[in-house]
Amino acid sequence: MPVEGTQTGDERGDLAAEYALGVLDLAGRLEAQRRIAIDPEFATEVASWEETLHPMAEACGEETPPPHLRRAVEERLFGASARQGGFWHSLGAWRSMALACLALLVVSAGLNARSYLLQEEVGARLIVSLEPQGGEVRFLALYEPGRSEFRLSQVSGSPGAGRDFELWLVEGGNPPVSLGVLPKQGVAEIDLPPLLARRVKEGATLAISDEPAGGSPTGKVTGPVVAAGSARPI
Amino acid sequence: MGDGGNVVGTAAEIAELVSRVALGDRAAFSVLYERTSGKLFAICLRILKDRAEAEDALQEVYVRIWRRAGGYRDGQYSAMSWLIAIARNHSIDRLRARQPLSDDIDAAGTIPDSAPNPEASAVAAGEMGRIESCLGELPPQRAEAVMAAYVEGYSYAELAERFAIPLNTMRTWLHRSLKSLRECLEHSGLRS
Repeated sequence: MPVEGTQTGDERGDLAAEYALGVLDLAGRLEAQRRIAIDPEFATEVASWEETLHPMAEACGEETPPPHLRRAVEERLFGASARQGGFWHSLGAWRSMALACLALLVVSAGLNARSYLLQEEVGARLIVSLEPQGGEVRFLALYEPGRSEFRLSQVSGSPGAGRDFELWLVEGGNPPVSLGVLPKQGVAEIDLPPLLARRVKEGATLAISDEPAGGSPTGKVTGPVVAAGSARPI
Repeated sequence: MGDGGNVVGTAAEIAELVSRVALGDRAAFSVLYERTSGKLFAICLRILKDRAEAEDALQEVYVRIWRRAGGYRDGQYSAMSWLIAIARNHSIDRLRARQPLSDDIDAAGTIPDSAPNPEASAVAAGEMGRIESCLGELPPQRAEAVMAAYVEGYSYAELAERFAIPLNTMRTWLHRSLKSLRECLEHSGLRS
């Protein structure tokens, strides 16, 4: 158990409420933050208090920040160092694993392996390491431009009973486009219609959401995104 | 109110934007900034009471929003409450790190709009209306203390001094007030 057993539920609830209200001193806040990181129940209690109290923020009104702030934020996130920054920071770390998985994928593709290896630069082949978004669902996708086909390999995590994973293509400000529901296990092959295939390029984002069995009933992402990553040439 | 460029969108819109930001969607991030930065900046400013520092804080808040968006789960809690928590927690952390503060309490009180009783300026509509009416059921000073803590980011020690009561009494006040507040909100149907 991550949290000392000496603490009663009441004390724990009080600490969560005090943290959400904001009245703790620095030491108290650091302690609460440490617990949030290791104790999901405590973290949920804090989030629940934050939800309860947040209408009070109305009292602050609104104040437009100076325009240069927005540029500063975007510069920090997507500026010169965008390649290593933020969202993709851990992609590099996964890269070696991604390549190892790719080798497996190619081998497991059996007869197709030969054509993969022979198919030199038809256009850049792309690899997408779909990283977990809070859970343990991880996929690796390989895009073969000559075939307009994504091959997905499940690295870890599977959908719960009565649920399916659905694959989405996300580009810029457009709504995500469904690329199809993934099979429960193994390697998935997803053929793209030419119009969609043209939109798959370096930097395109793939995401997997958890949906009701058979896929999203609305054509839009309805469940949480469980894994996501961006396409890179290999 | 409607054409200020910083209008907070509907809850569903904000939740969708956050989910798209979680997918690394920069355009969605830009729209999210447009819709929410006015509100989050006001929160930082109110807590930090220093424009330059509030600007620094807001930058950091949006960097965190981009990086942590994957951790937001739609459906559990509202996206706006998630965003507000990031802004408040970061601002309060900065405020506490600025210690010692005890000498600044009076100075803070001279800044316009920062006196206790901020609820007077609140819009009596929607969720704020409900929480306001529940605050109204508390003894007035306690309601004031809850609002001052939330809106101004005052610590227990600062509240105790402002309200001229012992720190432990303030602690008891707030514990009881928060419990009553939650019960009242549950009865009024805000929380399911």
